[in-house]
Amino acid sequence: MTGPLGSTPVTGPAVLLDGEPVKLADRPLKAGGQAAVFPVISNEGIVVKLYREPPGADQERRLQRMLTMAPLGGRPTHSSQPPELAWPTQLARSPSGQFLGYAMPKFGEPEHVQLVALFGRSMRLRHFPQRADWRFLLGISWNLAFMAARMHQEHLVIGDFSSNNVVVDRDGFVTFLDCDSIAFTDPGTSEYFPCLMQTADYSAPERQKGSPASPATDDFALAVLIYQLLTGGNHPFGGVRRDSDSEATVADNIAASCSYVVLPQQVIVPRGVIDPVVLPPSLLELAREAFGPGVLNPAARPTARDWLRALNAERSRVQVCPDRPGHTYGSHLQSCPWCTHTAATGQDLFNEMTTAPSPAYPLAPAPAGGLQTRTALIAISITVTILVVLLLIALIANS
Amino acid sequence: MRRDQQPRPKSPPADFAHIEIGNNAQRLPLVLCLDTSHSMRGTPIESLNEALRSWTRDLRDDVSLSASVEIAVITFGGQCVNAWQGPYPLPPQAGVSPFVSAGAFQPPQLMASGVTLMTEALELAMQIVMARKQELRQSGLQHYRPQICLVTDGIPTDRNGHPTDRWRRLVPVLSHEQQERRFRLYAIGVGGVTSHGAQVLEALAPKFNARLEGFPFRDLLQMMSASASAEQKGAGDEVFEKIFSRFTQRPAWEH
Repeated sequence: MTGPLGSTPVTGPAVLLDGEPVKLADRPLKAGGQAAVFPVISNEGIVVKLYREPPGADQERRLQRMLTMAPLGGRPTHSSQPPELAWPTQLARSPSGQFLGYAMPKFGEPEHVQLVALFGRSMRLRHFPQRADWRFLLGISWNLAFMAARMHQEHLVIGDFSSNNVVVDRDGFVTFLDCDSIAFTDPGTSEYFPCLMQTADYSAPERQKGSPASPATDDFALAVLIYQLLTGGNHPFGGVRRDSDSEATVADNIAASCSYVVLPQQVIVPRGVIDPVVLPPSLLELAREAFGPGVLNPAARPTARDWLRALNAERSRVQVCPDRPGHTYGSHLQSCPWCTHTAATGQDLFNEMTTAPSPAYPLAPAPAGGLQTRTALIAISITVTILVVLLLIALIANS
Repeated sequence: MRRDQQPRPKSPPADFAHIEIGNNAQRLPLVLCLDTSHSMRGTPIESLNEALRSWTRDLRDDVSLSASVEIAVITFGGQCVNAWQGPYPLPPQAGVSPFVSAGAFQPPQLMASGVTLMTEALELAMQIVMARKQELRQSGLQHYRPQICLVTDGIPTDRNGHPTDRWRRLVPVLSHEQQERRFRLYAIGVGGVTSHGAQVLEALAPKFNARLEGFPFRDLLQMMSASASAEQKGAGDEVFEKIFSRFTQRPAWEH
């Protein structure tokens, strides 16, 4: 037997895009169980996703139908906003014509970082230095809710909605990556394409048991993602259930409908977990619905629109901590929760060093940085205003 | 043989993070159980060290895995079995966890000599996984199913270097533990592992064993990362088998 991995070709796989041969890098950017994503040597703007096993006629038809669609399009976006969906642009075939995968726009590091990078302190500080305060995280939550609401409005189901397949740029704009797994009904042929992928930590209980993906299962994942964003990365089904066996995971806590946000007395949580009341009351109420009755009853889950409405109201009310840079929080709080957390744990979730309060922010490190930050904030607020207006128009038009 | 010129401290610094605060991600303990016996001398151990270094960089850059994966290294070579906390060998019964978060992990600089105490190494791997799970749970942290990756180019020996059958006592234990989903064991033979060696690996890890030509440590470690990603995703057993079968099968685009 020859070492099969030793036989990795020096040049990448040979593929054709729209009949044109392109050169792929020999090593994939990302390789998972089902597929690998390769950079294209002659075109830095796109990547090619190739399935490990021949993907079959269903998948080929799915991709072909997707090429005829342009979801979440047709709206003016801010010039700096990337598309919200890494939608397929071309099919990838072998020189003999076999369907292998597809090309899509590239959303890679360092410009685009997986959402999960915002959940841990050290990652957050490394990838979003002096940017990722609570206000920024609230803005990302809004962007996620907006994307989900609009997809649902266009009868698309994200299906596999997780912190790994959404990327965020430095302005907080989000892009969903794995579009080939979304569930939709082809408007032309009425053929239904189900979502066959899921991520356990974001799967609603009915999905874990085999039900198809639905807007309600997206809403469950959205609630988890928003909760994680607003609490510095704490999964609402994290922590060890007092009655659980030794191998119980996040997914098991979901299946058991046991969240410390709703049932704090039943779960041992890690030191330094943020008190859920850091969420403003309207958002906390949605979280308690989503992680309480909404776990087992999809109809009781707040929808993406519910989240959007509540997030919208909070965005204009964010307070800025007078004592420490990078500390922003909801209008409902009397004092800065991040200062309290720093005092309790010795660790500042939004600053590198836990030292005495430093005055200048966001002036450091360079004037340009501060200016960019301000420009970006202005850009975001303009975009948000435009989007809200558009959404309202859409809502009105729909009703 | 030691190539890097920087002096390394003999023991881990006191402030080495035991459990990283501010990171409440569900953890994924991963044990590399590596053969560093005499037969690994020269190119094999050098390429293992090199592969560990590049894997460490890749892991650190993977925002998803670096927050979740925790690495411990166990070596079996010389006259004993060693646990390493990152680059530091731990004294036996140190009472310190060898696991280091992937984001902070630095690989040890391994040297090859001595005998192949594979049985003892696997027993230590199971021990440290069990202890780590307990520590995590006491801290309110959950964990995914841990992964243990055994890599060898030989057959189990005793302390005098004589082949031994003591590994057989592990077979029922490993089988039971894995049935209880307590960890996943991968057993990989590299270099000139004999068919007897391959049989041992097959008995230890009936589902995830392989016999590879040469020393493709880099691909092997990438496979461990891919499995870790699948574990994070909550994939079914068939996905792990698919990932593992990449050792023997080529993907569609290479046909």
